[in-house]
Amino acid sequence: MELQLQHLSKQYGSKRAVDDITINLTPGVYGLLGANGAGKTTLMRMICGVLKATSGNIHLNGKTMQELGERYYAHLGYMPQDFGFYPDFTAREFMLYMAAVKGLGKEKAKSRTEELLALVNLQDKADKKIKSFSGGMKQRLGIAQAELNNPTILVLDEPTAGLDPKERVRFRNLISDFAKEKIVILSTHIVSDVSYIADIILLMKNGSFLLQEPMATVTDSIKGKVWEVLVDEYEAARYSEQFSVVNLHHENNMVRLRIIDKVPPSPAAIYVEPSLEDLFLYHFGEEVKEEK
Amino acid sequence: MIKYEFLKIMRKKSTLIIMAVSLLVTSFLFGLPIMQYQTYSEDGVIKGKEGIAFSKKQFMDLSVPLSEEYITEIIKEVQQLFENPDNVGYDGNEQFLIGDAYWNDIAPREKLLNMIAKTYDSPNENSGYQKLASLDGNSHADFYQALQTKMQTLLNAPERALSDEQKEYWSSMSGKVETPLQYGYYEGWEIIMSSLELLMIAILSVCVVVAPIFSGEYQAGTDAVILSAKYGKTKLISAKIMASFLFGTLAFTLHVVVACGLPLATFGTDGWNLPIQIANTMIPYPFTFLQAALLSIFIIYLILFAMISLTLFLSSKMKTPYLVLLVLVPVLFLPMFLMPNGTTGAYNLMLFLLPYRAAMPEIGKFISYQLGSLVLDAFSVRAILYAILTIVLLPVARGGFQKHQVI
Repeated sequence: MELQLQHLSKQYGSKRAVDDITINLTPGVYGLLGANGAGKTTLMRMICGVLKATSGNIHLNGKTMQELGERYYAHLGYMPQDFGFYPDFTAREFMLYMAAVKGLGKEKAKSRTEELLALVNLQDKADKKIKSFSGGMKQRLGIAQAELNNPTILVLDEPTAGLDPKERVRFRNLISDFAKEKIVILSTHIVSDVSYIADIILLMKNGSFLLQEPMATVTDSIKGKVWEVLVDEYEAARYSEQFSVVNLHHENNMVRLRIIDKVPPSPAAIYVEPSLEDLFLYHFGEEVKEEK
Repeated sequence: MIKYEFLKIMRKKSTLIIMAVSLLVTSFLFGLPIMQYQTYSEDGVIKGKEGIAFSKKQFMDLSVPLSEEYITEIIKEVQQLFENPDNVGYDGNEQFLIGDAYWNDIAPREKLLNMIAKTYDSPNENSGYQKLASLDGNSHADFYQALQTKMQTLLNAPERALSDEQKEYWSSMSGKVETPLQYGYYEGWEIIMSSLELLMIAILSVCVVVAPIFSGEYQAGTDAVILSAKYGKTKLISAKIMASFLFGTLAFTLHVVVACGLPLATFGTDGWNLPIQIANTMIPYPFTFLQAALLSIFIIYLILFAMISLTLFLSSKMKTPYLVLLVLVPVLFLPMFLMPNGTTGAYNLMLFLLPYRAAMPEIGKFISYQLGSLVLDAFSVRAILYAILTIVLLPVARGGFQKHQVI
C-alpha cells in the first residue's frame, strides 16, 4: 500500500500553509513534528479529504482520491484535534453511529464497537452520555471511532494533547497496538510521544518538510554537536545570547545548559548524545520561545 | 443512519422545549376562538358548551337544501315580519326587527339570512338580513341567478383587472358548484379555515429544530470526522435530509392534529360534507369544507417542506444554527407585516405566494396567475412554487455539505 502526496499545497490568501509537499508513505508510523502553525493540521485535513488542496494530488495505490471516492474514505481513520462529540449520545451510540457512517454492517458494527470500547477501557462507561466524560475518556473514544473500520491509513492529529502523563503513556501504547500494517500519521508537538512510537520523523516548518528521517537516524544531523556546560547565572545569560541553548536547568546557584553547536562552547563542555527533543528545539527554538 | 440522525434531533433538550412551547402556542391560538365563543338568546349571552349546544340546536332545523322555493319562502317570511310596525325598530340609520320577531324568527337563522342577503348586496354593500325586506316579494327569489350575477359583477370590477381568460377561468370554476346548496352547521370548519396561517408557528419551530442539521456539525467540530468517513459525503447527507423531513412531518402533523382537533372536538365535525359556499356564496371553488381544509393544509405541508429545504440549504452554508435562523425568521414572518392592496399586480401576486400569506387560503379572492393563455389559481401556483423550491434547494443543500471545507 502506498499513499502518495504529490506537490500538495494549500494557500490561504497570501499565506502558504502547506507548500509543495511531495512524499510517498508506506506502512509505518510517521511522527509529524512541528511548532504550532507549521501546517501539520492543514496537511492532515487534506489527506483526510475534508480540506481541498490549492494544488497537487493525493494518490492511494496509484489512483487519485477523487477517482476512488468512497473507496478512499473506506481506508481512512481520522481523529482530528479537539473534535466534538454529540453530548447527548452514549459512547456506544456514538460508536454505532460512526460505524454506520463508515459503512459497517449491523453485526460488524456491534462487535467492533464492543471490541474497541473494551480496548480503550470504556466498556464500563459505554452507556454513559459523552457529556459526562473527562478529556482523557473523550480522547480514548476518539481513537476508538477512528479504528472502527480497521483503516489502513490512520491519521491522528495531536491525539495526546490535554492528557496527563499516565494517560499519554496508555494512549501511546494503544496507538502502537493499532499501528500494525498501517500508515499511521501522528502529529504532535510533544516530542517524547513520537520518539517512542514513530518509525519515521517528518519535521515540518512553514508548510514544508524540513527533514524526513527514520527515527533511528533522525538525530544524526546534530550528532557531535550537543554539549552540556555548568555555569553561573551571569555566564548562562551570556551563553544564551551566543549559542543555541535548547535547555537549561538550575542546580543550586549554577545553571546546567544544553547547547547545540559545531564546536564545544567551552573547554569544560561535555559531549552528550543528541535526542529528538534537541533536534526539535534546534529547529523550532524561536517558535517555542514565542509561544511561551 | 436515519435512525441515529433522528435520535440526534430528538435527544436534544432544546427540541423538546421548542416543540412543547410551539404546541402550547398553537393550542392557545386555535383554542382562542373556542374560549371566546358565545351566542345570544333572548335571555342574554350563552358561553361555552351550552352556547355551542344552543347554536347547534338552532341549526338542526336549518340543515336543508337551499332550493329556490325555500329561499323564496324565508324571504317572504322576513318581509311579512317587517310589514308589522310593532316588530320594527329604527336607529335613525336603518330599520331592524325587534322583540319576539327578532328572537323567534331571525336570531335562530341570522347567519343563513345574512348569507342570503349578502348575495343580493352589491359588491361593496353589507346590509344584513334587512336587505331581504327590500327585495321584490311578489316574484321568485332567483337566488342562484343573483349569485351568478354578483359573481360576474365581481369578476368584471375594474379594480380586479382580471383578463378575459381569468374571468372565464373563475366563471367556469364557479359553474361547477353544485346547486341547490345544502345548508347546515359548520362552525368548527369555519374556525379552522380562518386560522390556518397560525400554523406558521409550527413551521418556524420545525425549522429551528432542523437548523443545526449541518451547521451544528460545523459548530460542534464533528464535521471533520463524519466528512472523512466512507458515507460522510453521500449516504449520511441523505440520512440527514430524510431524518429532517421525518421529524418535520411528524412534528407538524402533531400541530395540525391539535389545531384541527380542538375546534372539531369542541364544535363537532358537522359540516365536513357541506359546500363551502354556505359560508360565502362568492367562493368559486366547488369544494366542501373538508376538501377546502385538506387542500389548504396540503399547501401548508408543501410550504413546510420548502422551508425545511431552505433551512437545510442555509444550514449547509452557515457556520452556526443562529445565523440560519437570522435569515429564516424574516423570510417566514416579514410577509405578515406586508398588506395586499388588491388581488392583482406584481406586488400583490408576489405577496400571496410568500410563506405567511401562502398559508392563508384566501379562497374567495379570485387570486389567479396567468402565463400566456394559461390561468392558474393561487392553490396551484403555490403548490408548484413550493414543490419546485423543495426540489431545487435539496440538491443545493446536499452540495453545500459535500463541499464543506474544514478550516
